Amino acid sequence: MATVASLPQLDERCIVAEAQTGNRAAFEELVRRYDRDVLRLALNLMKRPEDARDVYQEAFLKVYRNLHRFRFECSFYTWLYRIVTNVCLDHLRRRQARPEDQAPETNLGRAEEGISDFFERQREHRPTLDPERQLFGKEIQARIATAMERLSPRERVVFEMKHYQGLKLRALGDALGTTEETVKNSLFRATRKLRTQLGELR
Amino acid sequence: MSAGRCSDIAPLLVFYACDEVQPQERDQIDAHLVDCASCAAQLREEQEMQSALVSAFQPADQLDPSGALLAQCRSELSELLDDLSAPPLQEKWSPFGWIRQWMALRPGWSAAGLLLAGLAVGTQVALWIPGREGNLVGGQAVNVKAAPLTNEDLSKMAVAGVNFAPAADSPGTVQLRVRTEQPMVLSGSVDDADVRRVLTYVVMNGEQFDPGVRLDCLDVLKTRTGDKDVRHALLAAARKDQNAAVRMKALEALRDSTTDDAVRDTLLEALQHDANPGVRVEAVNLLVRSLEDKEGGATSAPVAPRVAPPAVSAFPDPELAGSQIPPDPSVDRVIHALEGLQRRDPNPYVRLRSAAALRQIGPREVQ
Repeated sequence: MATVASLPQLDERCIVAEAQTGNRAAFEELVRRYDRDVLRLALNLMKRPEDARDVYQEAFLKVYRNLHRFRFECSFYTWLYRIVTNVCLDHLRRRQARPEDQAPETNLGRAEEGISDFFERQREHRPTLDPERQLFGKEIQARIATAMERLSPRERVVFEMKHYQGLKLRALGDALGTTEETVKNSLFRATRKLRTQLGELR
Repeated sequence: MSAGRCSDIAPLLVFYACDEVQPQERDQIDAHLVDCASCAAQLREEQEMQSALVSAFQPADQLDPSGALLAQCRSELSELLDDLSAPPLQEKWSPFGWIRQWMALRPGWSAAGLLLAGLAVGTQVALWIPGREGNLVGGQAVNVKAAPLTNEDLSKMAVAGVNFAPAADSPGTVQLRVRTEQPMVLSGSVDDADVRRVLTYVVMNGEQFDPGVRLDCLDVLKTRTGDKDVRHALLAAARKDQNAAVRMKALEALRDSTTDDAVRDTLLEALQHDANPGVRVEAVNLLVRSLEDKEGGATSAPVAPRVAPPAVSAFPDPELAGSQIPPDPSVDRVIHALEGLQRRDPNPYVRLRSAAALRQIGPREVQ
């Protein structure tokens, strides 16, 4: 069994290959290399820490169970990203199918309270917000969050990964296991929907 | 005239705003925007909206600034991997595992099915077992085990049933269905050594056997209270059996031996200390009877003065026979115990019964 200490210096391909043989230390090294990104993506897409935690566990368990199927046809990171994105999509779809799991849109008081906290925290951590952003009040920001919740899971994932993760549409297509054209359509629909719902923001 | 039509350019503005257009598309859009105020305004709106949306975005690092969530995730994943890496438990071979799974998911149907199956087995299958009844009551059971029972056999045995057949055709025959390492049926007279050993063992070691079996054994043994071992077993049962019915039956079985000191002591102990009021009443009855026996056996007559010697004794002392018999101190103990019972017993019926017993003894007591 390879020692944990020696693994960070190894090429990613070697670590993946070692993990494919069942080396637990190699797998954990892969986890340590990428799990910040995985959690970040999950938090960005799911918004709720408890959901992000579930995505993290489910995604890495999928990786652990299916690592032997990885054929190095793309980078491990791309493969991992694809798994995480799809797990997020599944969670978002399940959340959408269960009204009780959705953001409490109809309960404006609670929704605004939650979103208020969200933006309050944002301000605390971003003391140097530019003046333009400061124009947005709590109510408007709450509506943005509500509008995001109303997108389909795929539209939401595409929009967030494009704008918040900064992924190019081609990479997004890879991550979602679809074509760039399909992703482009999803982004277009997401933008139109958001614009319709937030039209009066101008 | 601007480059390109608005209807071609407008749909591209979404992607232009987020830098997702091809170079030639960008050139075309740029050229169009120079002269098209409408599309330029639309692009501004698009950029403003995207900017607004991005401003609402909270970076993930700020959702977990301390890294606590990441640490928790790592810890949980490690535990999950430990579980997955652990060698799988040896699966027990379970040919009917699918039935268990089915039943677990359908408890109502399972309960109904089991009930029907139980009824079927209980009413039909038992009838097909050859010789089942014959072994029990036919009187022709064979003693499967020829060798005498060892103490180890006794300690490991479970008595499935006792059948006492005092019928005319086979007087005093007892059948014991015993499960040891090898199931067996003991059949024989009450006086048979093995039969007697099993019966007394059951009575003396009541905690190992079913109360019903113990009562059956007592039924058989009460016909042999003259035997020292049997009496010893009955006394043990009367003193320490967990079941009040068994203790009462053991006392009742000793009714013909109440003149024996050990029996009298046991009765007195039951009278004063048994937790069950029924047992205490039974002890009162038997003690009164024992005093009456001393008097001469007439239950309706007042008992003899306590200084009188016992007229009938199950175990007469030959040395005392014909000589003057000293006062019997046990009578005093009985009266003393009854007086205590009359005053202090928590059960009113026991107090009443004790008072009645004292009245029965009373005429002699005042002497």
